[in-house]
Amino acid sequence: MAVTKTIPVTAAVREETAEKPPNRFRQAFPQYAAISPFFILFAVFGAFPILFSIWISFHSWDGIGAMKFVGFEQYSYLLGDPKFWQAIGNTMIIWVLSTVPMLLLALVIANALHNATRFRTFYRIAYFIPNVTSVVAVTLVFGSIFSNNFGLLNAFLQSIGLGKVEWLTQPWGIKIAIATIVTWRWVGYNAIIFLAGLQAISADVYEAAKVDGASPRQTFWRITVPMLRPVILFTAVTSTIGGLQIFTESRVLFGDTNNIGGPGDAGMTIVSYLYQSAFIKNQFGYGAAIGWALFILIVLFSIINWRLIGGNDSERLTSRAKRRADRKIAVQKGAAK
Amino acid sequence: MTPAERLRTTVGHVVLMLGVAVSLFPFYWMVVMASNTTPDIFAYPPKLLIGSHLFENMGKVLDNVDFFGSMLLTLIASVSVTVLVLFFDSLAAFAFAKYEFPGRNFLFGLLLATFMIPAQLSLVPQFVTLAEFGWIGSLKALIIPGAANAFGIFWMRQYAKGAIPDELISAAKVDGAGFFRQYLTVGLPVLRPGLAFLGIFTFINVWNDYLWPLIVMTDPNRLTLQVALDQLNGIYGTDYSMVMAGALMSVIPLIGVFLIGARSFIADLAAGAMKF
Amino acid sequence: MPLSRRTFLAAGAAAAAAGLTGCGSRSSLGAANELSMWTWVGSVNDDLIGQAEKGIPGYDGLKLSMTRIGSNYKTKVLTALAGKSLVPDIVAINDDVATYFPNADQFHDLYDLGAKEREADFLPWKWKWGVTPQGKMMAYPMDTGPTALFYRTDIFEKAGIDIDPAAVAQLAPDWDTYIALGKKLKQAVPGSSITDNVNSIFSYRMAQQPKRYMTTDGQYIGDQDHVREAFDLAVRVVKEGLSANAQDGSTDADAVVTNGKLVAFNAAVWWAQLGPKNAAPKTKGLWRVTAAPGGPGNRGGSFLAITKYCKNPQAAFAFISWLESAQNQAQAFLDPVLFPSTPASYTDSRLSAPDEFFGGQRIVDVFAESAKKYPGAYFSPYDSIIGQPLSAELVNVETAGKSPDQAWNDAQRQIERELTRAGAI
Repeated sequence: MAVTKTIPVTAAVREETAEKPPNRFRQAFPQYAAISPFFILFAVFGAFPILFSIWISFHSWDGIGAMKFVGFEQYSYLLGDPKFWQAIGNTMIIWVLSTVPMLLLALVIANALHNATRFRTFYRIAYFIPNVTSVVAVTLVFGSIFSNNFGLLNAFLQSIGLGKVEWLTQPWGIKIAIATIVTWRWVGYNAIIFLAGLQAISADVYEAAKVDGASPRQTFWRITVPMLRPVILFTAVTSTIGGLQIFTESRVLFGDTNNIGGPGDAGMTIVSYLYQSAFIKNQFGYGAAIGWALFILIVLFSIINWRLIGGNDSERLTSRAKRRADRKIAVQKGAAK
Repeated sequence: MTPAERLRTTVGHVVLMLGVAVSLFPFYWMVVMASNTTPDIFAYPPKLLIGSHLFENMGKVLDNVDFFGSMLLTLIASVSVTVLVLFFDSLAAFAFAKYEFPGRNFLFGLLLATFMIPAQLSLVPQFVTLAEFGWIGSLKALIIPGAANAFGIFWMRQYAKGAIPDELISAAKVDGAGFFRQYLTVGLPVLRPGLAFLGIFTFINVWNDYLWPLIVMTDPNRLTLQVALDQLNGIYGTDYSMVMAGALMSVIPLIGVFLIGARSFIADLAAGAMKF
Repeated sequence: MPLSRRTFLAAGAAAAAAGLTGCGSRSSLGAANELSMWTWVGSVNDDLIGQAEKGIPGYDGLKLSMTRIGSNYKTKVLTALAGKSLVPDIVAINDDVATYFPNADQFHDLYDLGAKEREADFLPWKWKWGVTPQGKMMAYPMDTGPTALFYRTDIFEKAGIDIDPAAVAQLAPDWDTYIALGKKLKQAVPGSSITDNVNSIFSYRMAQQPKRYMTTDGQYIGDQDHVREAFDLAVRVVKEGLSANAQDGSTDADAVVTNGKLVAFNAAVWWAQLGPKNAAPKTKGLWRVTAAPGGPGNRGGSFLAITKYCKNPQAAFAFISWLESAQNQAQAFLDPVLFPSTPASYTDSRLSAPDEFFGGQRIVDVFAESAKKYPGAYFSPYDSIIGQPLSAELVNVETAGKSPDQAWNDAQRQIERELTRAGAI
């Protein structure tokens, strides 16, 4: 984080430096007041609830009656709870099924958008609209497309001579349906972000590659992708955080049935399980404990992402790509002479 | 353009157009389902063209749920949160970006750290806290906890740093303007484009939010649009055309809001992501 | 407990945000002159509610404000109770009323409001269900849910089966013969099913038993033969291909009634309205009911409770005892086919009127027979904890082809874990 440039020294500031420290605080009162709404709201609706949730997670409590202190019992139950592990497994599978195609497609689209010279605004808006559409509405539409008996997808499969697939009752069908909704909503968003990354790459690099006789595919994998690494890191981190919190798709598709994520709980995500535990079964203590598990997972995955794609490693690679490009430009200039 | 390049451009457009088709098809399908009758949709092969029952289906939605009531409630919540967020976030961002004060970097670091906390972590305790306040079921539960957020402050600060010249602030100071006046006369006018982005972003997020209103809006007669829509599906799930008419009605206003500012909104969003 | 939740909250909230908390409203939902009530769709007679919406009988200044909740009803009630504000004055509770007993302090003791005087009007087993082990009357009886076999005469005719109710009852007195009948129907009309899904068979078989998951002295018996038998029966119906595989809460659930796949169904009386009358109005005249295979049973049938937030408990009690009087329960039988819990209603001429939807049959005879012979079973506060894994595993068997033994064992293991955590065993 870069430090902001100091305000030009005025009479007031000079006076301030001459005084003793307490006055510096008093002087900055308006600034403190200006930033205070966020910190107050965060204290009341963020920090306090988080501390409070540690307290709740040590209790057995239905949210209505008396709290009973149970120590670490909720956590030990959690670790041995097959449903919890299933929820993690489901979430991971849905996350992979959505994130991988989503980022790959976004990369392809961004690349095509980058090369396109016409209809650019139209394309961008068309690709972005799914992202601003509510998940509930989108899920209703996809739910009807994937419907076992009356779905468009099955009608299509039948019409080309393939059999029906029970999308919304089979474990994989359910996960594919949810992942499809996520992918559809986020491809355009990620493509726009990638596009911004592409546009930040200097044209010289491509020019050099072209002179070098690199094929478009080589240019894409050898130059574009490495130089996009910071942007890929951003999208990977945001889609990880988003992916671990998937809830609405599964909830709208399956409602509050005994199997919270459809038959066999196949679409039950971590947040679905948290919601079911806390607000359907009224186990607030357990819900709080699941919240902490989710938090740990998010931190863990953010670190893994960062290690894999980002950090110093990425800078090294990008600079290597740049150096390679620079060398090519030099060679090219030399040849011109 | 060489023939190879021309070919590549054409292929590029074909790929993009295919993508656009996939991206927009669900909207088309929503309209198809909302404008046909349920038996038509259930038939095999299904109807693939827009039908003539749209208004009939919309009418059924209005008969079965308090659609406009929900829309009004959602609108009040979205507008309130947006206005509060714009004010609080830009004010804080202005202070963070343009003023030195003791603990500034620490406080800003703290603010960034709150990004890491998933909302679901505090789902249960937040509900309990609001229950103790007596806010469950009321609009306060939707508006107040979200009235200022770290993302907006961070984003506006990045914007303010580059957009507001220091000289303007010093000039205002020389004129004897206090901090708040400086914010109003120097900060706000310059921040306007940034506010437009943050405003649309916040509005869309509140409008589309589902989990939080699902939990805190306990009075079935006062539901947000998303929860009401889910409810409509839960109860009348077999009447596909009516549910889709409801989905369509809930989606149209938001897409309208988005289209107004879409062009710069998308550019701003991409630019913001590059700054992370 | 030295440090209570409230003190922790008070201390934390005060330290963090003095002034922001404001004063919370602790009143019930609705305006001062309204009694708010929540129930689900199809659980009351609309004319009676309409009268109360103009004015509560005997309390002229008060009106009823009724909300019919279409889905996830229990979640909403419990969340509202946990939310502690805008809780309705009156809530309907299903036959799992015992699961609310641990929070009986959230409701008024109806004995304090004069319920004792009404006790003699009701079926004794039904009344007992609403009273906690400590002797507090938490919930007031609404309807009951006697079961019977619903069937489509047009399909039966195609299969060459005599459609006379007595004949059908004789043809399928138990589940074995019923399954054989189902196979015959399926042969005649492919796609025919005798249940919407696996869980209906399980639930309705359980509804015929004199015991459920726990004994009155707190022993877990959900792993015993009577439950296993119902479990295996449900699986068998699926294996025979006689289930429509339309899971509860899925968009296909009503569709199997609408599209005529469900040709026979052993179900409770209220299904008449929620099932064929609502989802397949065009089948009017084609349905009949007869004694259920496997004997009489009861599933569902509801209660009314007055929350501690209630503005005027006396008026609320006056209202619910009026709504559930023998006279008015008879009216609720006509629409929406709710079976009275007040035996005096059974002799009401309105009950014995022929029902055109059922081809002019006097369906009350069938259900009254079932209600009278129902053995009665004990519901424990843990029944939903126990029932949930069982039905979830049954869904796994039906939709994912999970081995029934594996499913049974998994369910039992899950139940044991949950009951241990809840301190029940």
